[in-house]
Amino acid sequence: MLLYNLRLAWHSLRRYPMLSALIIAGIALGVGVATPAITTLHVLGQDPIPQRSSVLYYVRMDSWDPVAPHPSASGIPSQITYRDMREIMKSRIPVRQTASFPAALYIYPADRNVRPSRETVRLVFSDFFPMFDVPFRYGSGWDKAADAKPEAVVVISHALNARLFGGHDSVGRTIRIADRELRVVGVLAPWRPRIRFYDLLGNATREPESIFMPFNWIEPMEIHSAGTRDGWKAMEGNPTYLESLHASETVFLQMWVELPDPARARAYHDFLDAYVREQKRFGRFQRPLDNRVTPLLDLMAEWQIVGPYFKAIAAISILFLIVASLNLIGLFLGKFLARAPVVGIRRALGASRSAIFLQHLIECELVGLIGGGLGLLMSAGVLAVMNKGFERITHIEDLFQLDAVMVLAAVLLSLAAGAIAGIYPAWRICSLPPAQHLKNQ
Amino acid sequence: MEFGPILRAAIHHRARTILIVAEVALTLAIVTNCLSLIRNLKSFLTHESGFDDDNMLSVVSEPFDVAFKEDAYQIASIDDDVRRLGAMAGVSAASTTNFLPWAGSGNSGEVKIVGGPDTRFRSQQYVADPHLFDTLGVHVIRGRTFTPQEYESSASPNNTAFSTVVTKALADRIFPGEEALGKRLENPDHTQVYTIVGIIDKFYNPFEPIDEHACFFPGRSNSYLVRAEPGKAELLVPRIERALLRANDGRNVRVRTLREVRSDYDYSYQLAVIPLNLVMILLIVVTALGIVGITSFSVAERRRQIGTRRALGATREAILRHFLLENWLVTTAGALLGLGLAVALNVGLVTLVAGAKIEWPVLAAGVALLWTVGLLATLGPALRASRVPPAIATRNV
Repeated sequence: MLLYNLRLAWHSLRRYPMLSALIIAGIALGVGVATPAITTLHVLGQDPIPQRSSVLYYVRMDSWDPVAPHPSASGIPSQITYRDMREIMKSRIPVRQTASFPAALYIYPADRNVRPSRETVRLVFSDFFPMFDVPFRYGSGWDKAADAKPEAVVVISHALNARLFGGHDSVGRTIRIADRELRVVGVLAPWRPRIRFYDLLGNATREPESIFMPFNWIEPMEIHSAGTRDGWKAMEGNPTYLESLHASETVFLQMWVELPDPARARAYHDFLDAYVREQKRFGRFQRPLDNRVTPLLDLMAEWQIVGPYFKAIAAISILFLIVASLNLIGLFLGKFLARAPVVGIRRALGASRSAIFLQHLIECELVGLIGGGLGLLMSAGVLAVMNKGFERITHIEDLFQLDAVMVLAAVLLSLAAGAIAGIYPAWRICSLPPAQHLKNQ
Repeated sequence: MEFGPILRAAIHHRARTILIVAEVALTLAIVTNCLSLIRNLKSFLTHESGFDDDNMLSVVSEPFDVAFKEDAYQIASIDDDVRRLGAMAGVSAASTTNFLPWAGSGNSGEVKIVGGPDTRFRSQQYVADPHLFDTLGVHVIRGRTFTPQEYESSASPNNTAFSTVVTKALADRIFPGEEALGKRLENPDHTQVYTIVGIIDKFYNPFEPIDEHACFFPGRSNSYLVRAEPGKAELLVPRIERALLRANDGRNVRVRTLREVRSDYDYSYQLAVIPLNLVMILLIVVTALGIVGITSFSVAERRRQIGTRRALGATREAILRHFLLENWLVTTAGALLGLGLAVALNVGLVTLVAGAKIEWPVLAAGVALLWTVGLLATLGPALRASRVPPAIATRNV
């Protein structure tokens, strides 16, 4: 029966080729606009590290000015201070934990004639690599002993390894950063998360850094943050960098903890509250108690990692598909009504109303699917153009790609468009009294 | 006018009427919201900085030589750079400052009035040498820029009293209706006092909501702004890099024209404007085609009726007028409904995602657009209707 209906639909399409082409083009346009729009939301909004996102929590504490809340939308600082990080890192509740911050440091090539180059560096604790599932090509991260000392070790990116060591296994070789020689213990495999989930501040689509080194080098090398620093309290006198590090209220550290279950998350939250209450006795943390231990995905939602304009454009694109389908109602209606005499004969020969309805709806859905297929091709083209456009900002060549979910979405969208366009005309044609159109013949 | 027959026809063909009304209404709602979002985005793109953007260059020195860790060495190097930049052929002004227009970011901080209530005023805060305002091409409308003494003493670590130059917008906010010149501000910790010595006329750097509010303090930075003689900015890029590296090799130097910086800043807004424009145009095309389709069927269906009217004496013009008027009425009904939808969609978008409140000129433009599109789309089928021969009435009865 389905086959018969499909054959009827096919005949009907061929009978009015111009009209059919117009209808198919309408659906193709609608799907071709709506699919790329939801693909952007899908790509940017999807869980960047699904295997671990449920156990990764971001730590914030309201250490801000007693007089006024932090000016951000969240009302509390986005990062924590050095002194607080030192204290809360003593907690044994998290399975793993790391503070981190970005820096920009010069590395000096062995060849003295080549100019030193400024590289992006992130200072992290050893837990950083297993916590965020960082992929290694050669070697591995460092151990806790290297954290504590700190040892002169680094992990370098795949790209930096290609540049410095021609892509060979460079574990055991050294690179010079500022005035230190550091030994390479690990080389990353190519690693380019679409969202840089371990640092969501600022442009979250940036590349991971080229160099990762033990956090505790911050003091001996006096490394300054190259990222966001936020302060409210000036320091008396002229403190040195180290003095200010230990006494300042400036926030510049991103703190992540791994908590295997909600009970531990609550325990950790209680621990932070207890720490802040104790600090309050020393005159710090004078704002109302507000510590937050936020799961990764909730933080992405809170900080609107998918920009609001993406959502606005997606909403408008879906409305566009709906309007395109509405337009097709009129075309289908005209087409079906022109065929009313034929339908009248079929009805008179005993075809039931539901058979007629089904026949016409199937024709609409066939058109929807053909249009959807063309729309999908168009989407691929649109996404290719968009990728070109975004490459300048994100330096990712293929940021947006159609995956199985999006192909399925396109198919569903085209079926929906076929239904929106087809249900009313199909109902109209099946409810026409057969006699009226027979008379005129 | 033939309102009667038109209304009766519209009621008789309810489905068709409702369809066009719905299409027009939704199209109007979407188009006006697109326009509103585009206007919102364009306001970022077309905003004047108030500076001589076209002729300026940004120069950043990134020292790696350990000698730069000594303050005295660093200061001497900066002064030397400023002198060299100012003396270069094709350069009309050069200045050291950590202010970079159109970087999409900046520094900010709070000040309060000395002895005043504990009200804090957040503004952008930058250090600069006395020549910054010349370099930017803005005017000190009251007071003066920093003196060489104020600039030199800023480097001394124990200094707690500074002079400051503020923008007119900031002066008017802190001291509404009063003369701000000579007034004293301080930081919230009361550790530094700033005396306002000058007020500049214009300033804009995107930093919501303090786009136009800034204060400048005397001080040095590793970055410079350079104003080139008209048309020479591009030429100066490699020359400046070479000149500064020749002066001191222990660093990298990055030089960019401000036009390039601005185009990077604008780029992300253009990325949003292009798809919105595209959707809007496609939508109008699709709607126009839809109206053509529906009206064509309605004409085809009424051929005999039209022929009868022609036979009874209606002119071609009367038939044409009938269809155009019919369409205009239906479009107008759709537009009225669409105005409501547009506002509703706008409220939804603004509260849930982004954008600004829709303004009535946008709505008016949308209605005008749809009237035009509606009439143009009807014109073809209506002309065909007017050419239906009266003789058709006699056939087939």
